Amino acid sequence: MIGEAISSPCLSARGIWKIFGNRPRRALEMADTGASRAEVREATGCTIGARDVSFDALHGETFVIMGLSGSGKSTLLRCVARLSPLSRGSVILEGEDLTAMTEAELRSVRRAKLSMVFQHFGLFWHRRVIDNVAYGLEVQGVDRKTRHSKAEEMLDLVGLEGCGGSYPHQLSGGMQQRVGLARALVVEPTVLFFDEPFSALDPLIRRDMQDELLRIQTGIGGTVIFVTHDFDEAIKLGDRIAVMKDGEFDQVGTAAELIMNPATEYVEEFVKGVPRVKVLRVGDVLTELDGPAPPQRVPAGESLETVLPLLVANTDDIAVLDDHGTAVGRIDRAAVTRLIQPQP
Amino acid sequence: MTAATTLDPDSLNATADWQRRAMWIVVPLALVGLQLIFAGTRLPEHLDETFSDPLDDFAGWAQQNRSSNWLFTVIFRPLTSLVSTGLETIEETLLWVPWFVIPIAIFLYIARTRAWKSAIAASLAIIYPGLVGLWEVTIETLALMGMAIVLSVLIGVPIGVLAAFRRGFDTAIRPVLDAMQTIPAPVYFVPMVMFFGIGPVPATLATVIYALPPVVRLTTLGIRGVAQQSVEASTMFGATRWQTLRKVQIPMALPTIMAGVTQTIMMALGIVVLATLLGAGGLGQSVMDTLSQRRTGRGVATGLAVVAIAAVLDRLGRAVVGQDRATAPSRRTVLICVGGVIGLIIFGRSANYIAFPEMWETRAFDPIDDGVKWARDNLRWFTRAFNDTVVSWYYVPVRDYLTDSVAWPVIIASAAALGAWLKGWRLALLNVCAMGSILLIGMWELSIDTFVQVVAAVVLSILLAIPVGVAAGRHRRVEAALSPVLDALQTIPSLVYIIPAVTLFTIGVVPGLIASILYAIVPGVRLAALGIKQVPTESVEASQMFGATPRQTMFGVRIPLAARTIMAGVNQVIMLVLAMVIISGLVGGGGLGFETISAVKNSEVGLGFEVGFAIVMMAIVLDRSSQAIADRVGAPEVAAH
Ligand SMILES: Nc1ncnc2c1ncn2[C@@H]1O[C@H](COP(=O)(O)OP(=O)(O)O)[C@@H](O)[C@H]1O
Ligand SMILES: [Mg+2]
Repeated sequence: MIGEAISSPCLSARGIWKIFGNRPRRALEMADTGASRAEVREATGCTIGARDVSFDALHGETFVIMGLSGSGKSTLLRCVARLSPLSRGSVILEGEDLTAMTEAELRSVRRAKLSMVFQHFGLFWHRRVIDNVAYGLEVQGVDRKTRHSKAEEMLDLVGLEGCGGSYPHQLSGGMQQRVGLARALVVEPTVLFFDEPFSALDPLIRRDMQDELLRIQTGIGGTVIFVTHDFDEAIKLGDRIAVMKDGEFDQVGTAAELIMNPATEYVEEFVKGVPRVKVLRVGDVLTELDGPAPPQRVPAGESLETVLPLLVANTDDIAVLDDHGTAVGRIDRAAVTRLIQPQP
Repeated sequence: MTAATTLDPDSLNATADWQRRAMWIVVPLALVGLQLIFAGTRLPEHLDETFSDPLDDFAGWAQQNRSSNWLFTVIFRPLTSLVSTGLETIEETLLWVPWFVIPIAIFLYIARTRAWKSAIAASLAIIYPGLVGLWEVTIETLALMGMAIVLSVLIGVPIGVLAAFRRGFDTAIRPVLDAMQTIPAPVYFVPMVMFFGIGPVPATLATVIYALPPVVRLTTLGIRGVAQQSVEASTMFGATRWQTLRKVQIPMALPTIMAGVTQTIMMALGIVVLATLLGAGGLGQSVMDTLSQRRTGRGVATGLAVVAIAAVLDRLGRAVVGQDRATAPSRRTVLICVGGVIGLIIFGRSANYIAFPEMWETRAFDPIDDGVKWARDNLRWFTRAFNDTVVSWYYVPVRDYLTDSVAWPVIIASAAALGAWLKGWRLALLNVCAMGSILLIGMWELSIDTFVQVVAAVVLSILLAIPVGVAAGRHRRVEAALSPVLDALQTIPSLVYIIPAVTLFTIGVVPGLIASILYAIVPGVRLAALGIKQVPTESVEASQMFGATPRQTMFGVRIPLAARTIMAGVNQVIMLVLAMVIISGLVGGGGLGFETISAVKNSEVGLGFEVGFAIVMMAIVLDRSSQAIADRVGAPEVAAH
């Protein structure tokens, strides 16, 4: 979650549709007249994988697509990454329409700007680790020496010093995905796609990898499109989260927005089990000042968890300060207590 | 099983059930009726000439225009000279090099992958033919096989890759590949002769055609099997299709492709003997010679030379790709080795120590000949009786009965009824068409002759294979003991074990029958064993927990659950027996096999096509019918997991 550079859209998806099956046209026509996913399948045998999805991922942002398995996350990601053809819609990367490009143009955009990390790693098992990592440079025609030294650097960055000479199958699962990560990072991509990169890993290693990703992301600062089915992971990594269901976005927003105002029951289901004090920040829960600011004050960026002791110790409300130190609101003790109580 | 049908509670099925039972009376009655109507009618006037004449004409035309038509001057002639130059170069080089360099070079080449054992095995295997005096013919065969295999790979891999990417192309070539594997090789020897004449070149090309399907299939399979995510990763880095193919897909598919190459090598060696019909010479010719001299011992020695070559080529093939960068020898080591080999060549040439020294040559395997002779003289009471029983109690009466007494419409109608009962009207129609066309081209009687022999071989093979296979599946020791025998039966050219059979039983249908059984029994045993082994332990334990006796468990659980696999074995037995029809023809089996051989030998193109067509039709009918039986018998496939 990087604050600074988030501003202009880097990657925009416009009205993306993806129909699986033999009669996509008929399926699109039906869907346009408002037919549901089930109705379309009944009538045409086609599955709607993505239905009119639009979003903007901003520069430097980590945009998470979250949903249960089968909700169409991979389908959407593969459309956006142009790995599979769209039925309708367009993908704009820094002003260029990826969907209108020839194969060769797309290839040069990929070489310059895109990368991807896969759920099952997608490693080249016949190549040594170093040659896996250097692959992106190799297809660009970078000479052997340069690409190997860059690859070594990247291996160091992901914590795989000295593993370059091994073959991927000699490494553990977590290390294999580090290879996948290094391979994706070495080309210095503008946009990095992740399709459930950590779900094949054990929980502890998964947490390590998430931390690793956050650390690296802070240093490099590309735009990340991250697919996951794990809401905790989404909260941990995502600046914004899109909740996906049946090929559509139910809601897009920050973790706090989703928690505070779930748009649908589906979103609410996910939000329910989340430990709110850990996720929410003071700024997320403030109420308007209706008088002079109370004496006790905390900055808006503080996590709710850290101000809990203050709330318990005090009987008064607490003032919330913005970055410049001016009071922008207060914490209503009663409201917060209600908020953090276990949900029915 | 019967309980399930009689207890069927669904009354709606009752009428259908009743109808089905009525069929058991109606159909036989109808067949008897047909027999009464058609009894004594002759076969219909053959359309024979209508088919074979144009072909013969074409062959004649080809013969005459060999030197003028563009088809020959632009395509076949250059191809011929290219292949023959290749063959001669390889052969001459191998004979020019001092003999001892060859095993050393083979050893070094394989050893560079650190596969020490196979390096030693291959270099010893290549010496063996020299020890039994077959060095030069072996080199001849090695050249032909090497050429055929290289061509197969050069042609097969691109086709396989293309098929992996283009569904349409894949669907188009699949039936062609199927046909290439079902058609007994000598059938397309005939057009080979037409276009290329007789000699090593048509023999090489026929071998290529015969051995091509596995490389193509396994290349396609391998490329398709590469993890989609790895391919997509490559795409995401902006690799071109060609880059992805070369750097990711082919390397990752390599193990599978190499499995295909191994199979191709085995198949190519499988027709080493038959290829002599086309003038391949080499070891195949030596085997043929031992057959005509009835020298079993020599035949075994020669057959083992073929096996030795198979082993060498197989190991060499693996060594072409089996190298990790991690284990690669240093450049210096490579230079030293290459230098050493060159030094040895210079030394051998200048010392004029080139040809393989003469050693024990022919004597080593004479005890086998003595044994067979002893058996021929002392077991006559048995061999005579066996021969007579098979010939005069089964083969002749059944063949005559089917050709003379049963009217042909009855046979076709029975096949149709069987097809309908097994699988429905499609199979019935297929059977009618296939048998009808055999009738029309005038191959009816020959086909019945062959069919009667095939049935005998199949039934006997299955009767032997299933119990043996089941035993092997149950007992590891039995399997371990059988395994080398089965390997040998499959790799030693089948003509080799026809020799003792001919010596013991004299020319006729019986030696062919025995050879067919020995050859075809192998997959039957293997798949029966596999099926039994694959039965889930849980099912067996469940049965045991209910207190079933071993016998009950065997017949109630193991065999039914293994039935599908066992039937796959039966299907293969049938196909292999059919493949042996030609070999049987070589030793007096008569029928289609004999006719094929004479067609190839006398370049009778029309006849060759007719016999080939009849064999293919028979293969299709038997293949589809046995698969239908398998579907009926087999337990429903259990979902994995
Ligand atoms: N190639 C395909 N053909 C047909 N249906 C597909 C294909 N790929 C995905 N689907 C369907 O699209 C839906 C979304 O799948 P997917 O995007 O893989 O979900 P997720 O990644 O969210 O688990 C599922 O219902 C799936 O069955
Ligand atoms: Mg997915």
